Amino acid sequence: MTERKVNDIGGLPAGPVCQDEHASTLHEKRVDAILKILSGPKLKAFTSDAMRRAIESNTKEDYRNLGYYDKWIRAARELIIEQQILSREEIETRVEQLRAKYKKVAA
Amino acid sequence: MSSNHGHHHDHDHDHSHGHAHPHSPPAPDDDDGYDRYEVLLQTAIRELLDEKGIITAAELHAQIDKQDSLSPAIGGKIVAKAWVDPVFKKQLLADPFKTINQHFELDIITPLELVVLENTPTVHNVVVCTLCSCYPRMLLGIPPAWYKSIDYRSRVGVEPRKVLAEFGTNIPDSVEVRVSDSTADLRFLVLPNRPSGTEGMTEAQLADLVTRDSMIGTSVALKP
Amino acid sequence: MTAFAIRPGQALPVGAPVRVRKHPPEQHCRTPFYLRGIEGEITDVMGCFRDPSLLAFHKPGLPLRVLYRVRFKQADVWPNYSGSPKDTVVADIYDHWIEPLAGEKA
Repeated sequence: MTERKVNDIGGLPAGPVCQDEHASTLHEKRVDAILKILSGPKLKAFTSDAMRRAIESNTKEDYRNLGYYDKWIRAARELIIEQQILSREEIETRVEQLRAKYKKVAA
Repeated sequence: MSSNHGHHHDHDHDHSHGHAHPHSPPAPDDDDGYDRYEVLLQTAIRELLDEKGIITAAELHAQIDKQDSLSPAIGGKIVAKAWVDPVFKKQLLADPFKTINQHFELDIITPLELVVLENTPTVHNVVVCTLCSCYPRMLLGIPPAWYKSIDYRSRVGVEPRKVLAEFGTNIPDSVEVRVSDSTADLRFLVLPNRPSGTEGMTEAQLADLVTRDSMIGTSVALKP
Repeated sequence: MTAFAIRPGQALPVGAPVRVRKHPPEQHCRTPFYLRGIEGEITDVMGCFRDPSLLAFHKPGLPLRVLYRVRFKQADVWPNYSGSPKDTVVADIYDHWIEPLAGEKA
């Protein structure tokens, strides 16, 4: 176990802070909402601490290169599976079904 | 069942929905194209949770609406009231969550472990979460991308004055820059200095001077 | 998460000089690397909280931990700190990550 985790970046060299902003997309809002409800008082599927822990389990490269909401929805996937709410198989099957459906529509 | 096509963007990019648009490695989160794995993943999870009655589409919409109702305007009202009402300000600093609940109608279910950091003539506060992106969403809405960025989180602790200068904020050396790193469940709201020349302004007018960034600490309140 | 009350005598007092411990981080760790081994001062005692390193694994997070706000001089934290000597950083640290400096009562 290394002393400095992938998310523990205070003081590491970095670049100018990009101040560009965009309005939240529907996808981003949905990611936020799914996580908020799953970790909320009604479902209590997992804590915010678990969500952070799941994000911290990324490799150093993935942690830095994956987008913010990409890390969150992947963390949601792992915790949903860990808490046996859905199985990995049914999630990935649905992903492939959706991918095929959109390919047909786009074609 | 609502369509899950990428055609339901509600942002104002000029975004071609054709699969022919050129993709260099997509800038994270700029590309909500329907064929991105993470968008498919979100859709898959959302559909499955709805089908199993775990999170219905109606519940999801309600949560999104609730999120959309949050904005820095809430924090701005609190700051403006603190500027005009010394009793409120004293209570706010001593017991922020209770005080805010008494004076404002906020839909906060779980108690917020809030700390209000008062800027003074000798201390300028700035907030960061170096370990993730903790932020007082109930009072300020969604954090800006820069707050969550690797660059801000890495640098504002070690060189706060340089980072503040990038935001156009220059604090004299005679004033302490105090960085608060949000490492636990506490959430921080900076109470910016009241700008000079604002005597006699109403609370509503004052609230308009309070920017989101002044409540994070990368900026100060607007001049009238 | 909510704060629980502190028992009398349970917590170090405001103003107590402390040092951040240097032990290996938990799998989910909320004490930043840059503060480890640094000396600072308690500015606030925030109450007792469940341990996030345990909550992260769906455990109850007991026993509760006292949470302190600890302030450090930036000049003590960073070699060659280039800001003002007045500058400080404050972090929220759980009790098992700090130790009182010699001469202070635990």
